[in-house]
Amino acid sequence: MAQTRWNMRKLAIATLCVLVTAAWTAMGEVKSQTAQQRVARAAALDTAQVVQRIDSIIYDYLAAEKVKPSGPASDADFLRRVYLDITGRIPTAEQAAAFLDSRDPDKRAKLIEQLLASPEYGRHFADEWVRLLVPRNSDNRALRTQPLFDWLAEQFNQNRPWSEIVTALLTAKGTQQENPAVTYFLANQNLDQITNSVCRLFLGNQLQCAQCHNHPFTNWKQNDYWAFAAFFSKVRADNTVRAAKLGNSPGVTEMARFLGRRPNLPESYKALPPKFLAGESPQLRPDEPYRPVLAGWLTAPENPYFARATVNRWWAKFFGRGLVNTVDDMHQDNPPVYPELLELLAQQFVGHNFDLKWLVRTITSTQAYQRSSQPAGDRPADPTLFAQMPVKPMTPAQLFDALAQVVGFNRNLTVRKPAVGAKPGFNIREAFILAFSGDEAADPLDYQAGIPHALRLMNSQMTNAEGLVLQEALRRGKTPEEILDWLYLGMLSRRPTEQERQRFLAYVGQRQYARNAWADIFWALLNSSEFVLTR
Amino acid sequence: MHSFLPVSRREFCQLTTAGIMGVSTSGWLDILALRAAESQTKHKSCILLWMDGGPSHKDTFDMKPGTKYAGEFKPIPTSVPGIHISEHFPKLARLMQHVAILRGMSTGEGAHPRARYYLHTGYREGQGGVVHPSIGSIVSKELSNPDFPLPSFVAISARTYGAGYLGPRHEPLVINDPTRGVENLQALVSAERFQDRVSLLQELEQGFYRTYRSPAAQAHQTMYARAVELMRSKEAKAFDLSQEPASVRQRYGGTRFGDSCLLARRLVEIGVKFVEVTLGGWDTHQNNFVRVRQLSEQVDPAISALIEDLKARGLLESTLVVWMGEFGRTPHINNRGPQPGRDHWPRAWSTLLIGGGIRGGQVIGKTDAEGATVVERPISALDFLATVCTILGIDYNKQYTTPRGRPIRIVDRGANPIKELL
Repeated sequence: MAQTRWNMRKLAIATLCVLVTAAWTAMGEVKSQTAQQRVARAAALDTAQVVQRIDSIIYDYLAAEKVKPSGPASDADFLRRVYLDITGRIPTAEQAAAFLDSRDPDKRAKLIEQLLASPEYGRHFADEWVRLLVPRNSDNRALRTQPLFDWLAEQFNQNRPWSEIVTALLTAKGTQQENPAVTYFLANQNLDQITNSVCRLFLGNQLQCAQCHNHPFTNWKQNDYWAFAAFFSKVRADNTVRAAKLGNSPGVTEMARFLGRRPNLPESYKALPPKFLAGESPQLRPDEPYRPVLAGWLTAPENPYFARATVNRWWAKFFGRGLVNTVDDMHQDNPPVYPELLELLAQQFVGHNFDLKWLVRTITSTQAYQRSSQPAGDRPADPTLFAQMPVKPMTPAQLFDALAQVVGFNRNLTVRKPAVGAKPGFNIREAFILAFSGDEAADPLDYQAGIPHALRLMNSQMTNAEGLVLQEALRRGKTPEEILDWLYLGMLSRRPTEQERQRFLAYVGQRQYARNAWADIFWALLNSSEFVLTR
Repeated sequence: MHSFLPVSRREFCQLTTAGIMGVSTSGWLDILALRAAESQTKHKSCILLWMDGGPSHKDTFDMKPGTKYAGEFKPIPTSVPGIHISEHFPKLARLMQHVAILRGMSTGEGAHPRARYYLHTGYREGQGGVVHPSIGSIVSKELSNPDFPLPSFVAISARTYGAGYLGPRHEPLVINDPTRGVENLQALVSAERFQDRVSLLQELEQGFYRTYRSPAAQAHQTMYARAVELMRSKEAKAFDLSQEPASVRQRYGGTRFGDSCLLARRLVEIGVKFVEVTLGGWDTHQNNFVRVRQLSEQVDPAISALIEDLKARGLLESTLVVWMGEFGRTPHINNRGPQPGRDHWPRAWSTLLIGGGIRGGQVIGKTDAEGATVVERPISALDFLATVCTILGIDYNKQYTTPRGRPIRIVDRGANPIKELL
């Protein structure tokens, strides 16, 4: 039966690709060599120099194209944006007031440092990476992800070089309890799953089409795919559902020899000696572990894919789209919008020894990142040029954390275990994230919520209670003006405009019960676009 | 087909909110009035009765009396000469002229999660690295009317597979408890206060949009407008089962599944295009006969009342009712436990199709003497889904484009819809 499954799977993947193949054949040409160039060695520059060069690359292009960029973001817009992007959280009312009232000319740079130093930074990136590393599918229903989350958060917070983190993930062995990094292989058990995932996440390439036939758009041949997959051919991962039933911690080992044809091996599988992508075949003894050799090639400074894929993915996290879009589809016919910028950032990332905090600091220090989300003209600018910061929907995790912060922990919340897709340790946050998650491959700039989500935000206990921020505002505010200020700072990270102040104070004044009126305002702010979007 | 069917969610939102923002300043609820009154083309609807766990075909609709592992139940004749079904479906037996039994189901997935996914989407889980839309989301996308205030796909009693790459507009609205209706549909404050809140919200929205002109803000406003409209719509009353006399609920069996089927009928009556009702418990590795009997006794009155009510309302011709699980069960009986059971069996099993304009009163496909393999007219998962699409008037060869730009057919190549039904 497993054989049939794979037959079908192969057939279907082939079918999906038929159309693109036809288009390619019609073009009547075969690209000779599309392999990327190595990343050139470059001396590490000061962060300020790199930031300046990024901005001048963009500025020169926009000037040549006569595109007017948006002006700088207001302090309030920058504040909320940088909190959400670096820590996944919105600032508290105190944090917002302190930043807005500071007259320090360096306050933006200092805030970036402060956020990078906070433990929330590592937790936020771990949250995002767990979702990338562990696909949400039924095979993983019994797999615990908390150990991986804790491990990743620690790596990010200690600022371990990305090359080392990825090496640890790629070469991990032992039980999940001993080494949480094995979770990656536990979550991607089949040879094609792990191959596709490694290519997408760390090399910025979608190789899955080449699994069954030569890739129509790129130069990837089916042999390239299976020769690359061969690096994982000796890995054995425990069945996580069975381990969970037995109460064991599942583990990963790399065997001394190839395991032979396993039941889950795709029909298209070809037994080939390991070979790097568009690179040479390493001299390997059959009994030596393959994965360390692969990790060494993949994270080498000159690797043509790794650094570019990483800086592109990080850029996309902050801007809502990559220099190459989609982020994991980097090839010759899908060139970056600012090739010089991508090269500069990749070279400097390598020059700074794969330092992720350096990368975040550099990106968030640019004028491009600190631009306003208000269009310079009447309409939003072309999002591909980074002339304006797009308004980004919060991720479901960010939205939950923002709600939890303004509402306060709510003991009345219960969650039913869903019949399909339940995971162990299914908690309120995970339930919320599952309910609010759209398609994983969707454009991150697309608003993904639907009617049930709107109903939940309008009419659940959670949003109708007298939320924590409102309680604080009522306790601390001596005048209606101060109460309103506190609500705005705690929820939207800014103070109200004059017009808003007049409107809301009048609203409170006209109502018989001021407390109800304040609850109405709290509700309206919480349900607003401004609350659920990152500007 | 509606000419207005949005190509993508983003375009849909732009289309609709361009209207309110460009023309009207009196509030975003006008959006709903501004949507052109589309011609009300009558599309078909579908009710999927999902028998979670995999019902035993040999103990329901493909009985093999006289064989070694025939089991405990007796076949009974039906309103159609020559067709026999289990004795525990006496009411349905009298309606067999509306029912087609497909006895040649043969799929390849024998594990629950993968089989559920496969039979809901027509694709193997994980195939090509995308999450595929379930049949309910496909029907929502193809047949829904953009002016309709309710979601076009409602799932009762269980969370099910959703829209995948089709996006949130086609996600199911999940009703956990049929007697409680849509969660969060009622405001928690008085109608007057809720209106005050909505007014405040509208002002905030206009201010934000004036400043940022963001498509995401437009989409947010559209979704809220639709949600508020749903709260206030007369159609939302369809979710309130307390409006049905007790005698009607009794006719459906007085069970949670019966209530769910009644709710499905009410939803289809007002224009919901796809309702999925889940009845769990069919995974009868142990105690097969007691449990299948109890489950059959829940299904029989509910499905029969549903057919009769749809017929009485003139909706049976336009409503396809599907009864199915993710696979069948072993032809032989296991005696591992204290009570006999049957295990997973995807190689040969049965489903029912009722109404929707099909030719009822027939059996399609045939299994061998033990019900172990299909010997006549095998039906793959692709054939089955292509058949459902064809009955509902959906071109199953149509290609969608995923967010990554890959073309994917509604049903993959190689599907042959069952012509005998049409």
